[in-house]
Amino acid sequence: MSENMKSILSLLIFPGGLAVMAAGMIYEYIDRKLVARFQNRVGPRWFQPLADFIKLLAKEEVIPEGIHPVLFQWLPVVAIAGALTSALYVPMFGVEPAFHFTGDLVVTIYLLSILTLCTGLAGANVANRFSIIGATRTLTQLFSYEAPFLLALFGPAIAAGSWDIAVIEQYATSHPWLMVFQPIGFLVALIGLMGKLELPPFDAPEAETEIVSGALTEYSGRGYALFRLGRSVELVIGLTLVAAFYLGGVANPLLFLAKTLGLLLIIAALQSLFARLRIDQTVGLWWRSGAVLVLLQLLVLIALKYFGVAI
Amino acid sequence: MPETKHGDKFIVPIGPQHPALKEPGHFEFTVDGETVTGASVRLGFVHRGIEKAAEERTYIQDLYLLERICGICSHVHAMAFALGVEKLAGVTVPERAQAIRVLVAEMERIHSHLLWLGVAAHEAGFDTLFMYAWRDREKVMDLLEQLCGNRVNYSINVLGGVKEDVNDVIRDGILSAMDYLETRTVLYLKLVTTERTLIGRTRGIGIMEKQTAARLGTVGPTARASGLERDIRLEAPYAAYLQYPARIVTEQTGDLEARFIVRVKELYESFRLIRGILSTLPGGELTTKMPRRIPEGETISRVEAPRGELFYYIKSNGSDKPDRVKVRTPSINNFASVMATAVGHKLADIPMILSGIDPCFSCNDRMVSIRGSEGQQAVDWEELRLYGIEYYR
Repeated sequence: MSENMKSILSLLIFPGGLAVMAAGMIYEYIDRKLVARFQNRVGPRWFQPLADFIKLLAKEEVIPEGIHPVLFQWLPVVAIAGALTSALYVPMFGVEPAFHFTGDLVVTIYLLSILTLCTGLAGANVANRFSIIGATRTLTQLFSYEAPFLLALFGPAIAAGSWDIAVIEQYATSHPWLMVFQPIGFLVALIGLMGKLELPPFDAPEAETEIVSGALTEYSGRGYALFRLGRSVELVIGLTLVAAFYLGGVANPLLFLAKTLGLLLIIAALQSLFARLRIDQTVGLWWRSGAVLVLLQLLVLIALKYFGVAI
Repeated sequence: MPETKHGDKFIVPIGPQHPALKEPGHFEFTVDGETVTGASVRLGFVHRGIEKAAEERTYIQDLYLLERICGICSHVHAMAFALGVEKLAGVTVPERAQAIRVLVAEMERIHSHLLWLGVAAHEAGFDTLFMYAWRDREKVMDLLEQLCGNRVNYSINVLGGVKEDVNDVIRDGILSAMDYLETRTVLYLKLVTTERTLIGRTRGIGIMEKQTAARLGTVGPTARASGLERDIRLEAPYAAYLQYPARIVTEQTGDLEARFIVRVKELYESFRLIRGILSTLPGGELTTKMPRRIPEGETISRVEAPRGELFYYIKSNGSDKPDRVKVRTPSINNFASVMATAVGHKLADIPMILSGIDPCFSCNDRMVSIRGSEGQQAVDWEELRLYGIEYYR
């Protein structure tokens, strides 16, 4: 009974569920504030993400004509469910993952992709031309960053010799920072995370000056709120994963905060430094340099492992 | 302009309401995947009937009305009208007034080009440059407010001169702001020529050859970026441009990068002109006596607005109201170039090509009646008035 109770608590309150949502909103605020300050703006107040969320929840959800209404309403729910579930296998807030099993790294990465996939489907579901182009771009971008991102997270896994996030994290904690030995993997993982979250300069799928809001153009109210929250949640989870793998693990809440916020600072700076990449430039960047480099690094790692060199 | 091919093509509508457009206009782009295969434009959503309204008002009232044609280049409209009316009346405006007109025109050019730099950067998804450019634009807006009392519709012109004088405090303020803006402009020029992601969005995009630019009748920085040496300040110097000659800035490549460079380099030219005017500002009166009734006749008046040649035709019938005022703003000349260069580009490049000409929609919306064309719907003034009364009853 207590075991069940514990599972439910970790699912709904901590470290999954509410805690991750709250963290997502706080990180979204910090990100927005930092970008605003870099751009010489004032930026939002601390409760703005929460206020946006409540406002969107209170609004009428307009369901456009000529679509599949069930898909339209449930895609955001599936998207945020995927993001929240993946939080259970990640050492959120510097505590042990709620659940872990061999191979949960692969499961987590795919759970994180559900949000993007749902966004793409949501855009393709409606008969809006901006949405359809946005959906095409979202899925194109998914195919360009996903493989390099996956390979970048496999680097530490090979070094640790395990597919279990908790085990890899322990390996990272007890060894020097993997960022030093696998710099390419670290960069690709961090920039891949920006591509995953469609942050500038990888915001072609929702480039407002071209296609309004991309795949989510027709969304208002609850659905939009859930998609946005899902993205904030993914931001925290993604930062935690990168910090746990490449920055020497997140052994306690203090280390967690310091490392993820440090990464967030880098991400915010990168967001304000560049002009938006066209979708063909994004694909070119990932497949011409990102994927090739990270693949090379992975091959070197496997070779070293094969010949028994300690890494 | 190429026709839109309807049928089973995928058409992306941009406008009348769209985040890329700051004013309403309607564009239809036929796309094949991400590549644009056809483009068409429809303008006229913000037709305001200003030319007709100008005939109902006196010359003095018209000055205020015409200044409101454009919110960005308001001074050049008033200046073009005032220069035309003064020519009709045979009045010579004092030198100091002419110099102050040019001073305000150049400050307006700085504000307009910085605004454009921000908008174009925003279209490219480079919001940091957008915010920076607009922050620096505030400097020159504040100076204009200090000098004229207004940030947008400066209202410094009167028929026969200008209203406000430049005192020492304002002069020092302008000079120090010019020094600051010059250091910022160095940064912007470096940004638009070296920032790799921005160059990826501008270099080789929307290339317009010199011949095409000439054939389409482009004006202003858009023409100058294609190597066409067109600048009214040099071709037909007006106001004080004879005493303070401008130097032309041209680029040969004709792509978006060239349009960025031309506009940023023109900022330097404006700084130089402003410094020149302030160091040798002629003394004397600000205004001269102007007759209320303008002698019968007609004239044209051309000035170089930030976007290119601004053309005024004024016809007087000897009363205190003009018989006809015709305005041609630079944007209408440049629109054809968007349609000509858009085809073959990626959809993502379209907002950039569109903003590359610095379009000003409400300025160029005119009623044009083509003689002999079929399906004309013409109403006369009285009918229109009655229709309006009926509509809002």
